Amino acid sequence: MDLSRRGFLQAAALTAAASGLTVACGGGSGSGGTKNGKNLTLWYWGGALSDKVVAEAKTHFASAVTLTTASIGGDFKQKLTTTLAAGTSVPDITGIKGEDMASFLPNANRFLDLNDLGFKKLSSQYLGWKAKLAQTKDGKQIGFPIDIGPTALFYREDFFAKAGVDTDPAKVAALVKTWEDYFQLGTELQKKNPGTYLVNNISSVFNIVVGQGTQRFIDKNNHFIGDQDHIRQAWTTAVRPYTLGIDAKINDNTWNAAVGKNLLTELGAAWHALDIEQAAPQTKGKWRVCANPVGPANQGGSYLALPRQCRNPEEAFKIISWILSPANDARGFTDAAIFPAAPAAYAMPAMTGPDAFFGGQKIIEVFGPAAKAIPDSYEAPADAAVMAPYMTELTNIEAKGKKPDDAWKDAVSQAKQIARRQGVS
Amino acid sequence: MSSPPVTGSAEVPQRLGGPGPARFRPRRTPPTGTARPRRRGLLSYWRQYLAISPFYLIFAAFSFFPVFYSLYLAFQRWDGMGTMQFVGLQQFRFLWDDPVFWLSIRNTLVIWVLSTVPTLFGALMLATLLHSVRRFKGFYRIALYVPNVTSIVAVAIFFGAVFSNNFGLVNAILGVVGISPIPWLSNPWLIKVVISLLMTWQWTGYNMIIYLAGLQAIPNSIYEAAKMDGAGPIRTFFQITIPIMRPIILFTVIISTINGLQSFSEPQVLFANNAANANLGGPGQAGLTTLLYFYQSAFLNNDYGYGAAIVWAFFVLIIILVAVNWRITTRGRKA
Repeated sequence: MDLSRRGFLQAAALTAAASGLTVACGGGSGSGGTKNGKNLTLWYWGGALSDKVVAEAKTHFASAVTLTTASIGGDFKQKLTTTLAAGTSVPDITGIKGEDMASFLPNANRFLDLNDLGFKKLSSQYLGWKAKLAQTKDGKQIGFPIDIGPTALFYREDFFAKAGVDTDPAKVAALVKTWEDYFQLGTELQKKNPGTYLVNNISSVFNIVVGQGTQRFIDKNNHFIGDQDHIRQAWTTAVRPYTLGIDAKINDNTWNAAVGKNLLTELGAAWHALDIEQAAPQTKGKWRVCANPVGPANQGGSYLALPRQCRNPEEAFKIISWILSPANDARGFTDAAIFPAAPAAYAMPAMTGPDAFFGGQKIIEVFGPAAKAIPDSYEAPADAAVMAPYMTELTNIEAKGKKPDDAWKDAVSQAKQIARRQGVS
Repeated sequence: MSSPPVTGSAEVPQRLGGPGPARFRPRRTPPTGTARPRRRGLLSYWRQYLAISPFYLIFAAFSFFPVFYSLYLAFQRWDGMGTMQFVGLQQFRFLWDDPVFWLSIRNTLVIWVLSTVPTLFGALMLATLLHSVRRFKGFYRIALYVPNVTSIVAVAIFFGAVFSNNFGLVNAILGVVGISPIPWLSNPWLIKVVISLLMTWQWTGYNMIIYLAGLQAIPNSIYEAAKMDGAGPIRTFFQITIPIMRPIILFTVIISTINGLQSFSEPQVLFANNAANANLGGPGQAGLTTLLYFYQSAFLNNDYGYGAAIVWAFFVLIIILVAVNWRITTRGRKA
């Protein structure tokens, strides 16, 4: 009995010592005072960067620093927020998703200003509108653009041919110059291809129409503008396919099954091509891409950032500017369907080749010009939260047959409430 | 080691508020001659306190502290990183005016009723049936309990595929019989039915095991006496089994209330993969339970203060419902 007690006490002492050690380590790794550390960590998520380029970066910089990478699963933004708030074990380099960037900007002091480290000299190589979305009002550059998501119209060449419509991308683009033209074409196509639909749901139309403008739901003076004409027009446009009966009303996981069967077109960003390819491999060669009505919008596209605790900002910046140099960025497109934010990449062989899934079409000829034509827009930190009720109400129209006008009123009143909660006047 | 004298130890519990039953006496006693001062009574148990401390330390760090920190957060506006701003009761005022919050409460209550009632009735029936089964007892018990230990994410994905609107198994079977497809995952009521079915499927086995244990504790002599008095099986069930099982039923009702109101993963997994729409809960937000709304507010919209206000308001609601359930289930027992 005495022996077991001693054993127990020893075990307890060891446990206590071990936990103390863990705490000490946790405190030490992130907040090291030196700024020329030899160990750097990089956080990203699967598919954010080309794994091959990241692996090469490790060997390329091996003489200066040891780069450790972690592919973080689950809710990336949540994990990054928690880590930054805790202030320990903060990564030296981290990815930030494009849709989360706006919500990190109010806490820009948690990150280093990349302009101080040399982004100013490089910025002309990257799309201006994309870099601006990661800039604070006083000009601090938080994010280094990785990729973008220029939108286009994906369409089924075989369905178009069956309806006697031109199938050449340039000609289709000319046919769908306006949204109304696009919807009229949809009703015609549907007549010749019974049981098919033009759009998968009306939220996707709304999303793109809003993205085509320069203003969103909150203006630069932090005022709610989600009840004004530009949003109302986007709403009216989005509801059109529903009233015309060319909306497939897909709001669940059945999209995977539907995309190869009865969808005539898909509106989406460059990365959406991969979704279609994975969901409907049997439709290989039947899809084409052309410019979507009116003009391109952007959906997604991420950044790399350096948290304030970065142990070696100089080297870290060298690493990210190497990983994201136009040549390496172009390789990301081949490896992981990451559409580069550096226009110089669009002329590189990695991107100019024909795509077999799109019947040998050179899709960069559509996405390249689209990427450069995306307008500058202002996205407020609360923008995503304020946009959500519009999406919900559009879904209510589809799922419950709610009257579009009632849905609009509810969407605006809810959006106003969310805006107020988030401190928007 | 020689067995310690009993006399010394009996005094220890007395100091802490009266002599306890013999089995609570501490085994070890201080060696005779080293009588400690009375006020150090608590300290003399430091080994025991040390032994149970891991649980309490972890509990304090991961449950106790967060619970009260969230109460503090409910009076602040905070985006998770920046400076907190004290806003008084403003978050609760927003909550009162927020139709989505009330919608989420309604959703939660409907899903709770639709799942708990069939779960408990089904569990009691299955337990009674299983109690009288002679062969393959172990097989039935395991088969019925397996859903409870299956990963909820896997189950939700499976249900999502089975009840899929356009290409699901259920609609395919209905199609064979000549019934047109039913929009399981877009009609506001059917969404709740599917979530409830999922929860029923998962929790029936768990409650059944508890009922079965209760049934097996009822002595056979009582049933024999009832038989001699001429009671049939149904009368025996309602007049013997149910009254004796009352405390067990009370336990399952309360546990099911707490579990059933906290539905989160089911709707989250069923309606999560909609990239175009950041909102959770599926079409019409019909599957938006209160906890899911809390998650959306705090972790997706970065509005931690509002999220905290939601869970505390919801906590009050759970307390009320548990109290009501307690009253209903214990009614008539003391009369």
